[in-house]
Amino acid sequence: MDRRSFIRKMIIAAAAVSCPAAFSPLAASRAEPSPAPDLAVVRGPSPERIVASAVDALGGMRRFVSPGDIVVVKPNMGWDRAPEFGANTHPAVVAALVGLAVEAGAKRVKVFDHTVNDPRRCYRQSGVAAAAEAAGAEVSFVDKRKFKSVRLDGEVLKEWPLYEDILEADKIINVPVAKTHGLSTLTLALKNWMGVMGGGRWRIHQRIHESLVDVARKVKPTLTVLDAVRILTANGPQGGRLEDVKVLDTVIAGTDQVAVDSYGATLFGLRGRDLGYVRIGHETGLGNMNLESLDIRKITL
Amino acid sequence: MRMTSLRWFVQGAFLLLFLFLFLQTESKGEDTLGYPVRFFLDFDPLVFLSTLLSARVLVPGFLLSLLLVVLTIFLGRVFCGWVCPLGTIHNLTGILNRRKRPVLLPGARRWKYLVLLFLLSSSLFTAQVTGFLDPLCLLIRSLTLFLYPLFQNGLEAVFRAAAEAPVSFLAAPAEAFYTLFQRFLFAFREPHFYQAVFTGLFFGLIVGLNLLERRFWCKYLCPLGALLGLLSRKAVLKRSVGEGCTDCGRCQKACQGAAIGGDPRETIPSECLVCFDCDDLCPVGAVRFGFRGGEKGQALHLGRRAVLLSLFSGALTVPFLRVSPQSRSGLFPGKLIRPPGALDEKDFLAHCVRCGECMKVCLTNGLQPTFLEAGLEGLWTPVLVPSVGYCEYRCTLCGQVCPTGAIRPLKREDRKHVKIGTAFIDPGRCLPYAFGIPCLVCEEVCPTEVKSIWFETVRVIGREGREEPVKRPHVDPALCVGCGICEHYCPVRGEPAIRVVSTGESRSKENRLLL
Repeated sequence: MDRRSFIRKMIIAAAAVSCPAAFSPLAASRAEPSPAPDLAVVRGPSPERIVASAVDALGGMRRFVSPGDIVVVKPNMGWDRAPEFGANTHPAVVAALVGLAVEAGAKRVKVFDHTVNDPRRCYRQSGVAAAAEAAGAEVSFVDKRKFKSVRLDGEVLKEWPLYEDILEADKIINVPVAKTHGLSTLTLALKNWMGVMGGGRWRIHQRIHESLVDVARKVKPTLTVLDAVRILTANGPQGGRLEDVKVLDTVIAGTDQVAVDSYGATLFGLRGRDLGYVRIGHETGLGNMNLESLDIRKITL
Repeated sequence: MRMTSLRWFVQGAFLLLFLFLFLQTESKGEDTLGYPVRFFLDFDPLVFLSTLLSARVLVPGFLLSLLLVVLTIFLGRVFCGWVCPLGTIHNLTGILNRRKRPVLLPGARRWKYLVLLFLLSSSLFTAQVTGFLDPLCLLIRSLTLFLYPLFQNGLEAVFRAAAEAPVSFLAAPAEAFYTLFQRFLFAFREPHFYQAVFTGLFFGLIVGLNLLERRFWCKYLCPLGALLGLLSRKAVLKRSVGEGCTDCGRCQKACQGAAIGGDPRETIPSECLVCFDCDDLCPVGAVRFGFRGGEKGQALHLGRRAVLLSLFSGALTVPFLRVSPQSRSGLFPGKLIRPPGALDEKDFLAHCVRCGECMKVCLTNGLQPTFLEAGLEGLWTPVLVPSVGYCEYRCTLCGQVCPTGAIRPLKREDRKHVKIGTAFIDPGRCLPYAFGIPCLVCEEVCPTEVKSIWFETVRVIGREGREEPVKRPHVDPALCVGCGICEHYCPVRGEPAIRVVSTGESRSKENRLLL
């Protein structure tokens, strides 16, 4: 943090502290402020509302996004599939987060994904590009010139090209979708970082769990919202059959991506430790996969 | 306004329309393109006629081409003089040529009719070679495979050099221009094509002939010009020369066709492009264009020997093109993966005019022109090269833009059942098989609703004697559609560890794999 932004943040913090409780929208909405839980699991029919409620339960978007921030909201829209097939993050979930970030004063909200299928079809057919744009995001295709080699000094990946926008963002919100994956069993939040990787990213499958943790350690999202409105229970990560899709109408939000993924595993009848990257993430201190030790707030709308 | 000015304006407008439609031959993520991008090809009566002869079918746009036929019967070769984008390019290049007199004898105008007869004779004997010389096919192909890639890759290199230049003031304008070009003029994915050089040389040669003589191609070679010429022999829009003619000979020199012979008062209607140059040029205003009917059309003397020679050589070309073993039935070159919806090979070759529309529209740049993979007869027809780009599972654009139905337009539901080949795993190179290293990228990217790649968990003993579980991929040949995405993304580069071959393609009754 440079001096200027430090001073700016101090001023904002001071203003926030000195703001009379009666004027604070946060305080006004709750009778007594309780500490934010580690995870918020919200279920309900409207994707927009469950996202808003989950973020609210964690302390509101202002906890994560400061006015003037450049925010990246990173969905999974890597596949040429319509929303109902659960292969990509639900457009309404992405749009809700973009809207909240804009409301919280973000200067710019960027949405992109390094897709597997043709980017034009993925952006269009997933419905994410249109929804995010309507909510105020700048949606752009990945520009191959913007992959910059960065030091990761990880267990497996020492150096890898990552997308410039992710590296330069003030705040990152990861918004993956929960689905099956042949090699890593499930693709959840950590796996979503493949979408900011350039280079010969398919090589990481040789040691996928360690590699994903190596990248996640660098990317550091401020907030992770796992979309489980629809989950894909077979033939993932691309799917294509409605019978493989289970509608859960749920989102799981938290600041600890390992904890989010650990909870995500339970949606498929697994435990966090069953997933290599969750276990390694836990063991190397990236996050906490022990759900018993976490404060999980479950809300049904 | 002078007629020539009006003509230049119309020519420019059609050239721009043509280029606009060319640029629109590109997906924006929807299932359809939203523009009738093969519009010009639909108007091409030569494509219609040759496909009628070679494949014995009516091309989808044949009504429009009949419209041009009717128009030509009445107005003459207005298409050549006012519309044809290649003609306009010749017209523009011809400006560079300052030579006054035609270099060829007037008799050379017969050549194009002989070319036409040659092509139609080949078509009649079921070889579709018209596309090599049809001006619209030739132009779209040359643009797609050569000029456009040259334009985009060349400019990108310039912008890159400017951005990386040691002086920093170039970077911002370079980026601004890059963004502008990318938004309006560049292809989404920078195009690269095999055969670009050869198609480019061919195009360069044809355009270069203008330096020898203006509109050399249109006067002496163009088979579409010949066909339209035959139709315009009794056109009612005619050039006439009035009383005041002083025999100055300016109109003879300026004529864009080869329509004015030894006597400047006489016009050969089949050669007249109705360009109005002679009208505007005439110092005494003696030249007029007007509607007059009833006159007897001039006979076309090609010479019996020349005609027979054209017809025979056209027919003989057919076995010549098929001399290589690719034309033998029962032989299926593995690398010859045709786009989804392509007809059975023999039929496909009878339809395809090598216009390059499918290669232009292909999302991944995977459709490439063949060299000799399909034999000489199949030169420059589309083939999927998965290492360059795979076939996008839900895309049907190549069939939508094909002007002859060589690639059928597929409905989204039917698309899923079209198999263009089958993937085979090379265990000597596949990481889990060869080295016991996990991978499964092929399974991850496989697009079929039920994955065509499944895995078997095997316990392998490593170098240290430890037993390790490894997932090994297998292809389910009943489900695999041969899209090649597995080959494209296989992390084993050079020669991927999973490769698609045409085996099992559903367009062929014989190239089947399963019972």
